[in-house]
Amino acid sequence: MPIYLYIDHRSAIHRLHPTVKVFALFVMFWSVYWVDHPLALLPLGILMVALAQTTGAWPNFYRLRWLFILLIFFTTLAWMVFYRRGPALINLPIIHLSRASLVFGFGRGLKLAELLATSVLFLSTTKVEEFTAGLQRMGVPYRVGFAITLAFRLAPLFIDSALTVVQAQSLRGYDFNRGGPIARARRYVPVVIPVFMGALRKANNMAMALEARGFGISAAPTSYIDFPMRARDRMAFAIVAGIGVLYFGIYYFGYGAIAVN
Amino acid sequence: MHELRLMWRNTRMVVLCAISAALYAAVLVPFKVVPLIPGVTELRPANAIPIVCSFLFGPAAAWGSAIGNMIGDFFGGVGPGDIFGFVANLMYGYIPYKAWRIIADGQSPVMRTPGTIAKYVMVCLAASVLCADLVGWGDNLLAFRPFSILGNIIIFNNMISALVLSPLILYGVYPRVRAGRMLYTDVMPELRERPRAIRLAGLAMLLGGELGAWAVGNLVSTGYWIPAFLPAGFAISPYDKAIAVTVSPLILVALAGAWLM
Repeated sequence: MPIYLYIDHRSAIHRLHPTVKVFALFVMFWSVYWVDHPLALLPLGILMVALAQTTGAWPNFYRLRWLFILLIFFTTLAWMVFYRRGPALINLPIIHLSRASLVFGFGRGLKLAELLATSVLFLSTTKVEEFTAGLQRMGVPYRVGFAITLAFRLAPLFIDSALTVVQAQSLRGYDFNRGGPIARARRYVPVVIPVFMGALRKANNMAMALEARGFGISAAPTSYIDFPMRARDRMAFAIVAGIGVLYFGIYYFGYGAIAVN
Repeated sequence: MHELRLMWRNTRMVVLCAISAALYAAVLVPFKVVPLIPGVTELRPANAIPIVCSFLFGPAAAWGSAIGNMIGDFFGGVGPGDIFGFVANLMYGYIPYKAWRIIADGQSPVMRTPGTIAKYVMVCLAASVLCADLVGWGDNLLAFRPFSILGNIIIFNNMISALVLSPLILYGVYPRVRAGRMLYTDVMPELRERPRAIRLAGLAMLLGGELGAWAVGNLVSTGYWIPAFLPAGFAISPYDKAIAVTVSPLILVALAGAWLM
């Protein structure tokens, strides 16, 4: 699985201010949290599909299609074991198959799938530096933002280093696929050690390079990347906030809940 | 816990934090496509990394564990529950080195005496149980998934990695990092500990709180035990309110213990 899902499509969503996108991410969490019924969750699902189409994020959704399907299926199944409410439709061992448990479990599955869709959409339309800029605008210290950006940037490099070591070891006849799952996992330890040590060798130089450039001198450093807030960003902010209010209203007025007979 | 704040002033610790996060994410993300129970958890050999990094980089590894898990979460779907995941992973990286300094100060974690092995298992178990408690409690509070599923799978997953993989990586890496004077005690020599008696009390509170939370969480979320003082409305699936009343105080005790350590 690639570590970057970003797709350069230049859609209106791509061009939004990073703070608005991070805010939209939180509003999605908020909206999904307040309702339980699958029918109440459906409009958000449709919105996700429409946004995936607009932003050209389909390749990422297609790549994760099985994760979406299995997520909904297993979450529904898990709640049919634990949510033992409503009259049983069929008597089964362990599973309590009632209308209420089915609707509740499916609703939970849909919720989690919509949260996954939100994160895929967010990563498809937001670069790492935009994400950290958005977090910093929301009060996260820049050193933390820097560590997040650096971690996002370093992770693919470490994966590449690991793959190089795997290929080099395989050429020397080292068999990574021998034994059961635990034995196979242990055979990857000789791969992790050189990657680890290579990373640490970088750490010293990186710290010196950062300090030479004045990292840590100012509490509010300037940046070459500027994200001005435009009228469209304010409008998007208002729409997103409206969705959040609407979903809280649905909960507050008693819609979106599951009736148990 | 003050070192979790202080470390951000040290550029080398910021870089080590990013490296820990990137290493964690680099192993975590490729295994996102190998779910053990889809929507609940996947195969996580990456859980060996925070334990190793904790012994090496101390507080930088704690933040690295939280950030690395957050990067991983973006590929399995982020949601409100991931705030608990962030704190849980922070603790998963924080507890091992802190607990080790209390029960085995001055000893190397790669020593192979029965005493150090027992202490190593204990600190890994303490870290794994608190991590599982926080995620299970948080997800059940939000009624996403029952405590009894997450609370147990996470302990199993963490302990497998901590016992099978971490010692081998530590054995390869720890002596080299110590020789290179890159351990957190070398990078942050200004760190000061509380008096030993207070730290021991903290450890006792941590263990009592987390084991209590795990036991109560399992009993309540499965409906086997509901305290008599709870109103009848709390004793219904998904038991989110019952979990809030019964498990939250124990979680607070565990966190207060971690703070005193």
